Amino acid sequence: MRIMIVGAGEVGRHLCEKLSVEGQEVVLVDEDEAKLRRLERELNILPVHGSGASMRVLEEGGIDRTDLFIAVTDSDEVNLIACILSKQYDVESRIARVRNEDFYSQSGQGTEKALDIDLVISPDLAMAEEILRLSALSDAFDVAEFADGQVELLGYEVYKGNPTVGKTLQQIQAMQPQNNFVIAAIIRDHETIIPRGDDIIEAGDKIYLVARKKDIMDVEAVFQFTSHMPKDVFIIGGGIIGYTVAKELERKKINVRLIEQDADRCDWLTGQLDRTVVLNFDGLEGHDLLEEGVDQAGLVISVTDSDTTNILSSLLAKHHGAQKCITKITKPDFIPMLGKLGIDVGLSPRMVAADMILRYVRGGGKILSVATLLGADAEVMEILVTEDREDLIGIPLMELSFPRDAVLGAIVRKKKVIIPSGQTKLKTADTLVIFFATSAMEQVQAYFG
Amino acid sequence: MRIGGVLNILGKLLLLLSLFLLTPIPFSLYFQDGMVKMFLLCSVLGAIMGGTLLAIFAPEEELGYRDGFAVVVLSWLGLALLGSLPYVFCGAIPSFIDAFFESMSGFTTTGSTILSEVEILPESVLFWRSTTHWLGGMGIIVLSLAILPLLGVGGMQLFQAEMPGPTKDRLAPRIQDTARILWVVYFAFTLIQVFLLMVGGMNFFDAICHAFATLATGGFSTHTASAGHWQSGYIEYVIILFMLLAGINFSLHYRAFAQRSLKPYLENEEFRFYMIIIGLATGAILVANMGHKIYNAFGDNLRDTLFQVVAMITTTGFGTADFDQWPSVTKVILVALMFVGGCAGSTGGGIKVVRFLLFFKYARLQLRSLVHPRAVGAIKLGNQKVPKEVMISILGFFALYLAFFLAASLLVTSMGVDIVTGMTSVVATLNNIGPGLAEVGPSRNFGDLPQAAKVVLSFCMLAGRLELYTVAVLLTPDFWKMARKPIWRWEFNKKLEDRI
Repeated sequence: MRIMIVGAGEVGRHLCEKLSVEGQEVVLVDEDEAKLRRLERELNILPVHGSGASMRVLEEGGIDRTDLFIAVTDSDEVNLIACILSKQYDVESRIARVRNEDFYSQSGQGTEKALDIDLVISPDLAMAEEILRLSALSDAFDVAEFADGQVELLGYEVYKGNPTVGKTLQQIQAMQPQNNFVIAAIIRDHETIIPRGDDIIEAGDKIYLVARKKDIMDVEAVFQFTSHMPKDVFIIGGGIIGYTVAKELERKKINVRLIEQDADRCDWLTGQLDRTVVLNFDGLEGHDLLEEGVDQAGLVISVTDSDTTNILSSLLAKHHGAQKCITKITKPDFIPMLGKLGIDVGLSPRMVAADMILRYVRGGGKILSVATLLGADAEVMEILVTEDREDLIGIPLMELSFPRDAVLGAIVRKKKVIIPSGQTKLKTADTLVIFFATSAMEQVQAYFG
Repeated sequence: MRIGGVLNILGKLLLLLSLFLLTPIPFSLYFQDGMVKMFLLCSVLGAIMGGTLLAIFAPEEELGYRDGFAVVVLSWLGLALLGSLPYVFCGAIPSFIDAFFESMSGFTTTGSTILSEVEILPESVLFWRSTTHWLGGMGIIVLSLAILPLLGVGGMQLFQAEMPGPTKDRLAPRIQDTARILWVVYFAFTLIQVFLLMVGGMNFFDAICHAFATLATGGFSTHTASAGHWQSGYIEYVIILFMLLAGINFSLHYRAFAQRSLKPYLENEEFRFYMIIIGLATGAILVANMGHKIYNAFGDNLRDTLFQVVAMITTTGFGTADFDQWPSVTKVILVALMFVGGCAGSTGGGIKVVRFLLFFKYARLQLRSLVHPRAVGAIKLGNQKVPKEVMISILGFFALYLAFFLAASLLVTSMGVDIVTGMTSVVATLNNIGPGLAEVGPSRNFGDLPQAAKVVLSFCMLAGRLELYTVAVLLTPDFWKMARKPIWRWEFNKKLEDRI
């Protein structure tokens, strides 16, 4: 597939990296020549110098042979114009990143339809969605949904003293009457392991579980994990992300305190929000935060425009006893260090947006969806079993020569979810949710054609 | 620098080359020259060398910008070493240094030889000699980029380091596809030339060897009299045509073919300059030769002159005439052409036409700024402004070139070689041409030079083929200070096992 990406910022770069490693033909358009040169050296891409809103530049990059057009520059207008220009050519789908709320229609996909753009993505809104998803469970640090939300992928950290430590996966499965979960991946010392039955869980492991939504409680009981919505949530930063999250949380009857340093913005926020307490002070005023009871909070969400404020306020809250914090970081390179500092979840809006685009891009064909497990070298893919796959259908799973470093997490059959065991047999039209190490991507794609 | 990962790739390339070492076997069987066992032995030795490297060093995924230089230079040294084995084992070139010189001369498409009579080599070894040209012409690393999935992200760096010219055309977004296109064009030209030469009466063996040598702009022949052996105007014109084509940027060939038009050529400023130089040089030498009454017939004069001009500028170095006997002025022109070399992105050596073009434009700009001190100037190539970094890299290239040239000339002449032989042998090797003047002229060879001089000249060939920077950067201590400990294979395997 030939993909043209306009804008070599954080999102563009991340997309280039992922897509070029997969062997796609990637053309990157940007106005900064020095940046292009650097990326050309590091990645297997074709750089084209110029503005994405120029026909000449687009033609130079071979737009007439391009299948997918992604405009992710810092300027909303350039992104939209570039997408509109690309309509002149035979481009299959278009994606534009748009930051300004005013460009969004109030109801549904009006903007998308009017401009004939397949996906209009806002990093801030994508980020707000991600935060809401992650705030739902207190013990889990990472959640993703599959198969229309029937299956969840949950990440947990296993601490010392957990009953499952020192047991093999088979032993854990045997602890309960019926097979209702699969351990899809283990992260141990920053390394991702796709486990087999005889792998042993160690203290300090992060494990990713796949389970049906309704079984989550039972599964968590086995691991003695708990989950509930936090009662008190602090949101530091009243920008688009903070506001969107607050609005959604107050709808769920959660006590929200929203801290914003700009008085005018506070005014506006109070007008828009009902139950949320809007507080007007800087997120670094530790005294005021404690006064308001940040130490009692179940969840602290730091989403100001300043990375420094976000990190420091999260550390402060954690130090004084807040249970969990979600922290916005603009520079994704720093995310891996946050865990060591005690910050539970670090998210970059641009990375979240890039992952969302990737998920959309991979939506075509037999491969239904892929989510990158954040901070891990593992991926998830949904694959449809077609009629002609006689080598898969009707054979017990344990007899299949499944690619190494890949595991079948769930099967969706006629809208019902099956958590597979070794005896399970596949049928036509099953959707498979497969987890695999990123390094095994090729084998998995080859195996499932 | 990740030395382990670099040596791992070298291992893979040696395995690839050991496969190519099997290709002379059919010829050996046909000509009954008894070299089958010898080539099998060489191939096995190559496989053992490559396999050993692979067994010791584990692959490293993230080979960076710097590692590209080391991969290319070490690979070329390794390949030249392995490629010299057939010469030693067949008994024709007993001295290892001579064999290494011959092999390096082959891979770098220089075409300098230490043999006074190439006919003493068995046919299959002659074929191997031409094959090294062919592999080195478009570049064995570019070939491996095209056919092996061994290099993912760092491929651009390797491509940059092996393809000649200050800037590179990308024909496709993915480097593998670009490399593939170039090799396909190269391969197609080879087939066409083999066919045309056979039409002219050459046998298949000679035709394929000469096609390899022509398209790689190498210059090894299967006969001591080189392309003049056949005494055929047709064959010489076919070789002239293909030398000319091989000296042109291969992406232009592809573009012209893809668009079914000659426009890509005509719109290319480098190509136009290349043709102008050839035209002027041919005209000047024609006149000079006529003045000195070297030839009786104009047709012979034209053919030999054109042949020598094209052979020199494209750095092929085939000979049909002993130009050492021509008037001095023509020799000066020919030596000047040696420096020019082919176009960027061609298989030719030398400094490259585009560098000269930009160099002159830069001089003109300086002159203009003396007349109009406040004028804003830009150097353009075609319709494109040339970025400053490219200009600086070209000026740096000339400086480096001068340094290599002087240092090597000094070394060679200090070994007691006379000045004309010494300097032209450096010119001929540094520019990957083949013959020089006097003792190393077209009718002579490099065999009588001191052994140490051959080592220096082998190095010149490598430096010239990889366009100085790549080799020079390996000579800087800073480069090696950044070396990292390799990942040993056993550690790597253990890690893999632990994961399962």
